[in-house]
Amino acid sequence: MGITRKFLSHWQNWLGLIIVTAFVLTALFAPLLSPMDPEGQDKVVQTYVRVPQPPGPGMPLGTLPDQSSVYDALIWGTRDALKFGVGVTLVIFFVGTLIGTLAAFLGGTSNSLLMWTSDIFLAFPVIAGVVFFNQLSNSMLVNLVSTSDFAGFPLDYLEKWGYLKDFYPLLNPLLKLNPAAVTFALFLWVPYARVMNASVMRLKQVEYVLAAQVSGVKNYRVVFRHLIPNAIAPVLVMAAKDVGALVVLQTTFSFIGLGHSTPWASALLSGRDWIYSPKGIITYWWVFLPVTVALILFGIGWNLLGDGLIDAINPRSDQK
Amino acid sequence: MSILRRISFSLFRSVITLILITAALYATVMLTPPETLASLYMPKRTSPRMTEEMYAELLQDMIEKYHLDDPFPVQYAYWAGNLLRGNWGYSPNLQEDVFVGLLRRLPATLELTFYAMLIYFPLGVLSGVLAGTRKKGIFDRLFRSTAFVATSLTPMILAIIMIVVFYITLRWFAPGRLGTAFAPLIAAENFKSYTGFLTIDGLLNKNPKLSLDAFRHLAMPVLTLVFAQWAILGRITRASIIEESQKDYITAGRAMGLREWTLSWRYALGNAAAPALTHTMLTAASLMTNVFVVEIIFNYPGLSTVGVKSLAFIPDAPSAMGFAIYSTVLVLALTTLLDLLKAVVDPRLRENF
Repeated sequence: MGITRKFLSHWQNWLGLIIVTAFVLTALFAPLLSPMDPEGQDKVVQTYVRVPQPPGPGMPLGTLPDQSSVYDALIWGTRDALKFGVGVTLVIFFVGTLIGTLAAFLGGTSNSLLMWTSDIFLAFPVIAGVVFFNQLSNSMLVNLVSTSDFAGFPLDYLEKWGYLKDFYPLLNPLLKLNPAAVTFALFLWVPYARVMNASVMRLKQVEYVLAAQVSGVKNYRVVFRHLIPNAIAPVLVMAAKDVGALVVLQTTFSFIGLGHSTPWASALLSGRDWIYSPKGIITYWWVFLPVTVALILFGIGWNLLGDGLIDAINPRSDQK
Repeated sequence: MSILRRISFSLFRSVITLILITAALYATVMLTPPETLASLYMPKRTSPRMTEEMYAELLQDMIEKYHLDDPFPVQYAYWAGNLLRGNWGYSPNLQEDVFVGLLRRLPATLELTFYAMLIYFPLGVLSGVLAGTRKKGIFDRLFRSTAFVATSLTPMILAIIMIVVFYITLRWFAPGRLGTAFAPLIAAENFKSYTGFLTIDGLLNKNPKLSLDAFRHLAMPVLTLVFAQWAILGRITRASIIEESQKDYITAGRAMGLREWTLSWRYALGNAAAPALTHTMLTAASLMTNVFVVEIIFNYPGLSTVGVKSLAFIPDAPSAMGFAIYSTVLVLALTTLLDLLKAVVDPRLRENF
């Protein structure tokens, strides 16, 4: 049975595929679905009321306490989520796969070096990394914009920073980087490298690879034509699952105030006081429910897709 | 002797890892201007207002005293020496010495992690074995669907729902670490802190009400952590039990007439425990991440407070660094402990004792 047919023979995989497709389509057609400006500057209700408004005309899912539409946050948040998830996953996927393959192919010292490095990376909690990079960009930002310290020290940093003048054009994009994205990209390639390393190590001893090497095929050709395509399947599955997992993690971090804010997280955050009130979760259901369901579905969709891929690719899989 | 060698090897590896991580962290901070770098060593600011000249002089002193103009290895060596001496810098946001602040908050985090692990470890192994031995049985189906729900409901969502249900509606549990009524009790002079765990200290100080209140506050974060971690551990255990139960030695045991219960709980689990423990070792960092996330959401005053408060407006490198280093130390300690546990549990490793 072909991989495609095997994949499509389980309803769970269909569900995953449908959810992911729905999210991708929503992100693509966000301007059509919610014809507002993406910054969410247009408030639906122009009042001074600070109560979340229930769904009504012009605001299909009600509003948040700041009178911005939940529906808009939902639609535009999809775009942010996909951008973040797919972007970071692509980075860690490529870096991890490449490093893992090369270490296994070269073997010996470089292989043990990779194992060693990955041990180190695995001992560092991601949250500490996010705090750390957040702190770095914060302190750069504060140093750049403030001419006086918080406690009243008249510090003319801009002048003191004379030697850094040449780097200003570089600093600007640096400050715009999302600390969460930087941390994930720095730390989460390790599992990919490990898995890829293990499968390439196994493949290296297989006859057709040895035959290719003996018959004088160039090294890069062996790596890119024979090793990577045949060992890529498990990492591909990891990547599919990671898109969802990374977005969920980022939203969590954003909710607790680490890293840049995302529309989904800030919707939950700004409506928090209304959710945390007696019967608030039922009375103001539109503040909590749509975003939560979207986030959970996002995680589930990619997860199902990944699980389905494992079963379709691996004939020995006992998952289903 | 073998167990001693294992311990020392484990410790040696942890120390090397810690050195490399701190070196990398310091190298990253070196990218920032020397002012930030010097703040790692700054003592508590004595005078509330300092003139620019005084500050510049202080900075210059710092730069000279700690060799901040020297190349990286020298600087790092001086800084590491400072760390060992307990001088982790002063945090303007916490208004205290970072090392003191971290030490003070450590018991809270340890208590939370301890209770969470105490519950989710046996629970995960138990349900993993039960589900794995009767694959596709009723319990397996139940486990798989619950585990799916548990992994889909992220800790954040679960925490929000828990606060709404158990705190706001039912008033059973509460966020934070202790009720306001008990705060003076802790601060009182006749209260002796034996372990730092409020649940145990309350009993030791003959004040069971205090313990009960501490449990009331621990319940929500512990439950959230257990729900999130249990499913992962259960899945790993289930998968390795299924793998083990297809092996020849199980078939041989069955042919010899051993009971299924003995087969799965003694033989299969004995060999399946190693992968489960290895997986927990590899994901110790993500466990700590979850612990910190849960702490922050439930307003539990653990180590995460240091990390979060460092992100206030004042640049505060010392507490961010301290938080990063301290959490790495915690992860390494946890990994070493689990490594030992693995040596005790795994029959293949036990024979070398």
